[in-house]
Amino acid sequence: MKELREQIEEVIEGEPVALFMKGTPQAIMCGNSYRALTALHAAGAPVTTVDILPDPRIREELSALSGWPTIPQVFVKGELIGGADITEELLESGDLQRKLDEALGTDRDQDIRTVALELA
Amino acid sequence: MAAMEAEIIRAALADAFPDAAQLEVEDRTGGGDHFQVTLADPGFDGLPLLDQHRRVNDALGPMLRDGSIHELRIRTRVPTKGTS
Repeated sequence: MKELREQIEEVIEGEPVALFMKGTPQAIMCGNSYRALTALHAAGAPVTTVDILPDPRIREELSALSGWPTIPQVFVKGELIGGADITEELLESGDLQRKLDEALGTDRDQDIRTVALELA
Repeated sequence: MAAMEAEIIRAALADAFPDAAQLEVEDRTGGGDHFQVTLADPGFDGLPLLDQHRRVNDALGPMLRDGSIHELRIRTRVPTKGTS
């Protein structure tokens, strides 16, 4: 099994849009995670979500990698976008859509997927 | 208690942003752990939103790490001349 940090890096680098959140899209456990997911969806983003709640080490490793202390965290093509506030602000200004268009093209899918990390 | 928590956050931010034109800390739930920070600082000029928020997070680092802030909402902007 791969180390947790390596798994997290693979999601960040490999997924078009990665959302690290509390809970899953079916069972969201935090208002800010809901706000980030809703904003991404409104911008027409494909979203791959990772639930950080199953193990506190997920959040520790993630924050060590990103340098961002809070959850949720949104990445587009490996680049940290920010948390819920920034994602919402970028949606309102239109910058989120522009960033997605540039990074993923305008003809992109909008699927929402969930990835579960393997925990030792 | 809740008001005191907001005051501690306000003091930490006032330290980190002595030139802030606007600094508001609202306890959103009254429970002392969900906060809205609104901050206008000339130092944000030219900084991407991500870095503006990073500077706020950095100023509150210990409180974010030890869990005394459960939820933090941040709204940053560059002060507008004459309206600050």
